[in-house]
Amino acid sequence: MAPALFATVCLIAACGLVYELVAGALASYLLGDSVTQFSTVIGVYLASMGVGSWLSRYLSRGLASRFVAIELMVAVVGGWSSALLFLAFAYTEAFRLALYVIVAIIGILVGLEVPLLMRLLKERFSFKDVVANVLTFDYLGALIASILFPLVLVPKLGLVRSALGFGIVNAVVALWSTWLFRGSLGAPRALRVVGGVVLATLVAGFAAGDRLMAAAERGLYADDVIFARTTPYQRIVLTVWKDDLRLYLNNHLQFSSRDEYRYHEALVHPGLAALPAARRVLVLGGGDGLALREVLRYPGVAHVTLVDLDGAMTQLFTTHPELVTLNRRAFSDPRVTVVNADAFTWLDANDAAFDFVVVDFPDPSNYAVGKLYTTAFYRLLRRHLTPDGRIVVQSTSPMFARASFWCIERTLREAGFSTAPYHLYVPSFGEWGFILAGSSPYAAPPTLPPGLRFLSLGQLGPMFDFPLDMRQVAVEPNRLNDQVLVRTYEREFEQINR
Amino acid sequence: MSRRAFVATSAAALAGLTRKGSPGYTGGFAEDESGAGHRLRANAPLGAIRERRRVPLIIVGGGMAGLSAAWWCERQGFHDYLLLELGHEAGGNAQSGANAVSPYPWGAHYVPVPGKHATTARDLFADLGVLKDGVWDERTLCHSPQERLFWRGEWHEGAESFLLDSPVDRAEWMRFQERLATLRASGEFTIPSAHGRPSSSPLDTLTLTQWLDRESFRSRALRWYADYAVRDDYGTPARDASAWAGLHYFVAREPDERGPLTWPEGNGWLVARLLERVGARVRTGSAVRAVARRRGGRGVVVRTEDAEYTADACIWAAPIFVASRVVADFGPAPAMTTAPWLVANLTLREWPAERGSAPAWDNTIVDSPGLGYVNATHQRLSALRGPTVWTYYHALTSGTPAEARRTLAALSWSDAAELVLRDLERAHPALRRVVERVDLRRFGHAMARPEPGFLSAPWRRALTAARGPIWYGHSDLSGLSLFEEAQDHGVRAARGALALLGVRSAR
Repeated sequence: MAPALFATVCLIAACGLVYELVAGALASYLLGDSVTQFSTVIGVYLASMGVGSWLSRYLSRGLASRFVAIELMVAVVGGWSSALLFLAFAYTEAFRLALYVIVAIIGILVGLEVPLLMRLLKERFSFKDVVANVLTFDYLGALIASILFPLVLVPKLGLVRSALGFGIVNAVVALWSTWLFRGSLGAPRALRVVGGVVLATLVAGFAAGDRLMAAAERGLYADDVIFARTTPYQRIVLTVWKDDLRLYLNNHLQFSSRDEYRYHEALVHPGLAALPAARRVLVLGGGDGLALREVLRYPGVAHVTLVDLDGAMTQLFTTHPELVTLNRRAFSDPRVTVVNADAFTWLDANDAAFDFVVVDFPDPSNYAVGKLYTTAFYRLLRRHLTPDGRIVVQSTSPMFARASFWCIERTLREAGFSTAPYHLYVPSFGEWGFILAGSSPYAAPPTLPPGLRFLSLGQLGPMFDFPLDMRQVAVEPNRLNDQVLVRTYEREFEQINR
Repeated sequence: MSRRAFVATSAAALAGLTRKGSPGYTGGFAEDESGAGHRLRANAPLGAIRERRRVPLIIVGGGMAGLSAAWWCERQGFHDYLLLELGHEAGGNAQSGANAVSPYPWGAHYVPVPGKHATTARDLFADLGVLKDGVWDERTLCHSPQERLFWRGEWHEGAESFLLDSPVDRAEWMRFQERLATLRASGEFTIPSAHGRPSSSPLDTLTLTQWLDRESFRSRALRWYADYAVRDDYGTPARDASAWAGLHYFVAREPDERGPLTWPEGNGWLVARLLERVGARVRTGSAVRAVARRRGGRGVVVRTEDAEYTADACIWAAPIFVASRVVADFGPAPAMTTAPWLVANLTLREWPAERGSAPAWDNTIVDSPGLGYVNATHQRLSALRGPTVWTYYHALTSGTPAEARRTLAALSWSDAAELVLRDLERAHPALRRVVERVDLRRFGHAMARPEPGFLSAPWRRALTAARGPIWYGHSDLSGLSLFEEAQDHGVRAARGALALLGVRSAR
């Protein structure tokens, strides 16, 4: 009897410490500054234990069943703490609140455990032995946990499963206690049933620990995910809801099939329709083949080269039935050559010349992509242009990222281009902007290809006119050695997200 | 990297999951010139003379000073010289290496964008196509982000956020900038230093630490940064460096463009370009053992292990402490100390896990004994980050230079590699998983240490003023081991020698 009781003390002490360590480690990984995270977690935890110990005075009857109930509560809250905190971080802004609330609840419950146990034991042993043994095994359990945590638990199980594993230990202790204290329990069977359920859910969670993280990701998208793949370059996710097919790259929306025609018609036609002699076209980025679809409307275009980093993207948009319907089998057109390469280095390594270049890169949200928006890149591009050739650049939103948009325009001018900025409304994106650039001033085309759904000649005029809240602002050009655009873009998007 | 992968790797890293036993990486000490150098000291017997030759001009030393002297000669249309280099390759502190991943520097890895005083440096860069019509080549200028600092558990872009972190730091940094502005206005601090250099300065009578104390600068951030600056540029800690030299670092540069200029192989790129112009007249593996004035005649006799050259003029572009052993009647060795350095090139399979701002070109860990690392693939145009090479620098500054040099000499490759990795693991806990090679190079005498009094050292003045037949041209004469100083002294010496030889400028 005695060894079993003290083993219980040892185990619950270990569990308590593991939850505390899990919370501290998790907060450190997710928020950084491990000293602050561990200090505050330990502080809240110890203070809550004090609260729990103090509250224990108000429990006077049915101590044994109360003890079992507390164990089960610790098993549930502690066991699921890590998973809950991950979800809170992924989905809510209230991670810190969740962290300290969970730590406080566990602390209070753990704080209740030992006083209750001591009172349960004092009827069987002398007070002096109870105090000595309970505290000894309490500290011993803490030692075991603190050694196991870094050496075994984190490396072998990870944080989610470590917490769940010790939740299981707590649940087993609860069940076991229903036998240890069977004499003093009113309704052991009911407690055993609850304990069994708690144990079963924890075991299931433990077994599915890996998939739990994946499920968290699925929840990030509102619609059904029909395709998801992580390539060496990005995470590609396709979702569908009714007739709306959406592509996300690294969680950023690339297009919605409901209004992508607005974006891609506006991207290609104002420029290409004004170049009736264009034969060779280059598309940079645009691995979805949608800009390509628009380029291929021109019978005069004899050859299109599409350079996209990610072979998985172009492959997907060459084979997936719904996607090839959307891009009208653009990649199967004999006029198209696909190159999976980095645009900057590819351009640097060859000297092909083009009549029209579509530059459709992701927004300049980091220094790596930002290089593709520099004077150095545009100067290189100019060398790949025929004398009357023109380029069009996807230039983010002149509304939400006004200074960024005009920074791209300024950069093109700095690189020696004459520019013609324009904008349109794309419902799933908002107000969006493009910039045409060439060595001579731009003149609007006299005709547009047939079969368009958005763009008309009458529409062209207003597109090139900027309302007051999107008008040009004075900005510095973006250079390789001073990427002002990335910093501008970051600042502008921080302001929107606030 | 997905959040999940990040959590997984950092969790393992936090747990200190490193396998003990085999290090999991390979490498070794790269060849260096200490063997050949120490033979000079030992005064090993000379071999038989296999070649006797008359050459109008001999340049001793193939570092940046010697190569610049040769470059200047070529520019003036003078090709009748020979450059003798002790080591198996030219370049001195600007040497570089290369592997399948990238070329990488073994020492100097950048040139600050030359300002208006650095006319010779501007001439060189115009010659190399880096400066065209007053515009610096964008691809050669260091790409964004240039610099980041690791502190409080993560990387932060730039140094400003660290220096301005607390109100006290901010106030002191502003006050420091005001002091620098006053000093800048004095015109004493220029690059090359010969333009503004005073013959003495009250700032050269105390150390940088003493100056910071005297000016009541107590900000921990500022004091760390000042110490870092002099360790990084001069291999000398603030407690030993002349305040003048330390302030020169902060005051002298007024670039008109955001820089610096850099290349994957560091200043090895400059070495290669200079060798394209002068390489035909460079003899490597030629240790000069004696330089003496010709008896009863003009000019000098230069003796290597197996050859004897008779020359009308000689440019000494090797370290000055070597001259005292080689040049006849040189007199006692000048009183100066040199800094020992350890340089490591780490080849990485992929970029290791880290927290904070994006990878920069220059990556510094605050409160580290080392000086951080430079990423050799930073200037690549590709948006992708693949395998890379990091060049890690460590000027050994504990104890006296001689003690530090003994420590360095006693380090085994594996001990030194561990020293490097342990330092970098502060910022990249999972670094070991991606390290393929750790190649090391030890520089016992990497550079002159500018200690208080260096500015007014009589020998510097005398050697700079020497008028043939031996001209001295080496950055030791400034006491500041910088590209611009080496070039300035090398070209000055070449000008003097060419004047003696009666060579008129071809331009």
